[in-house]
Amino acid sequence: MSDTSNEEKIIGQLRGILEESSTTEPDWDNFGRNSTIESLGLDSLTILDLLYDIEEEIGVHLEAKEVLNITTLGELVDLLIKNGA
Amino acid sequence: MTNESCQRNGSPRHRVVVTGMGIASPLGVDEKTVWKNLIEGRTGIGPIRAIDTSALKVHNGAEVPEGLAEARLKSLSRRPSDRALDLAVVSAQDALLDSGLISQEQELVPQNVSVIYGTGVGSAESHYKSMQAMFEKGPQRARPTAVPRCMYNAISAGISLQFKLTGANYMIVSACTSATNAIGTAYRMVRDGYAQTVLTGGSDGFFDPFFYPVWNNIGVLSKIEDPTKACRPFAADREGTILGEGAGTLILETLESALSRGATIRGEILGYGESSDATHLTNPSSEGQAKAMRMALNEAGVSPQEIGHINAHGTATHGNDACESKSIRSVFGDAADSVPVVANKSYFGHTLGASGALECISAFLALEHGVAPPNLNIENPDPECRIHMVGSKPVSIDSRPVMKNSFGFGGGNGVFVLGPSN
Repeated sequence: MSDTSNEEKIIGQLRGILEESSTTEPDWDNFGRNSTIESLGLDSLTILDLLYDIEEEIGVHLEAKEVLNITTLGELVDLLIKNGA
Repeated sequence: MTNESCQRNGSPRHRVVVTGMGIASPLGVDEKTVWKNLIEGRTGIGPIRAIDTSALKVHNGAEVPEGLAEARLKSLSRRPSDRALDLAVVSAQDALLDSGLISQEQELVPQNVSVIYGTGVGSAESHYKSMQAMFEKGPQRARPTAVPRCMYNAISAGISLQFKLTGANYMIVSACTSATNAIGTAYRMVRDGYAQTVLTGGSDGFFDPFFYPVWNNIGVLSKIEDPTKACRPFAADREGTILGEGAGTLILETLESALSRGATIRGEILGYGESSDATHLTNPSSEGQAKAMRMALNEAGVSPQEIGHINAHGTATHGNDACESKSIRSVFGDAADSVPVVANKSYFGHTLGASGALECISAFLALEHGVAPPNLNIENPDPECRIHMVGSKPVSIDSRPVMKNSFGFGGGNGVFVLGPSN
């Protein structure tokens, strides 16, 4: 799988997770690498649920401390690819 | 009839008025629709949609009409999370808008408003989902946020967070008396000067594959198939209650505060009484109920003869209705022959920890409109319930105070005397 298609696949998986579990209504029209973590309704608590769902759906375990400084979805995607997604 | 001149420890007590009401109920999620349905005799009870009831004895329940709460949450940029919290937030928004404490046009700013809320079951949906994950995937795979999602005060905390309310924030949990005890606690906080403004009420949402079947098995639900006929408070042919989901929110504040900011006053809490039966976990006691009624009347300075109508707890179970009517008779004496009694559970179902709030709002609406809504399914009043039920047509009422009763498993009793806006 090319880098681009893998990245698109991961973004699609993340969107699926957030559509299922997010407690807020993100701006889906502009959902992509540049979406900020804050605009997705994620904070230091709810991001723990995202990590839980990522492990369930994508099979990659990330530690909470690894994502604390992430500000955009793109950075999260890069981290997931780095960890084998 | 007011407590304006009462003194306690040298501190003046405040008159406590209602300046906002919000409702998310099986009759609708806006006050006008709810009142229209009440006055036109349309029940919110129907076949349950949320779960498969085919293996159960009872298939009816009172659910908030599909999509209404979800649409309101979307307007708040929220997605459904836990049913009890979702319904509470929807009703809280309406109450705050009604009171003028927030507006659609202005950004939210932190306000020193307390949140004292009631629930019987709490975050049932979150509990069920967490348990389901644990049984399917093992305890090590419980969702990390199960703890804050499942805690009972997730509801009051959620309201506080959503609307930036910075006063006290906690829950009252006392089964079917929860909302009434919460409103009563809020009333006392305002009356005694501990808070100027409190958002209060109750919420429950529990149509999940665990909680509803459990209630099927306790033997208090009506097995009558026709949902419009299933719940028959104080009728001779009553066969049990029907569960409902919902939330009701009221804004209580001192009369001085309401007048100073030009708020519209919707009603007043004149007195509150509470007691515990201390006799049985689930069977009610007439003595305990009557004690709470007398306390509320005494605090309000109102005699039974001055009560214009009663909004009963009226669950439609044999034991509860018989006990409540006996309690009313013991407090009201011969006045029980003529004071009209309304029982809202034939409309809302039994919303457990929300019922006191929904029924208080119904009582205030009745006072505002000068009309008591009809009782459903009261074609055959129980002669052993020696009270005067409003019949199948609405009746005119005057502006005399209303008594509102709530009683719960655990033996808790809570009673209000509610007055009109003037």
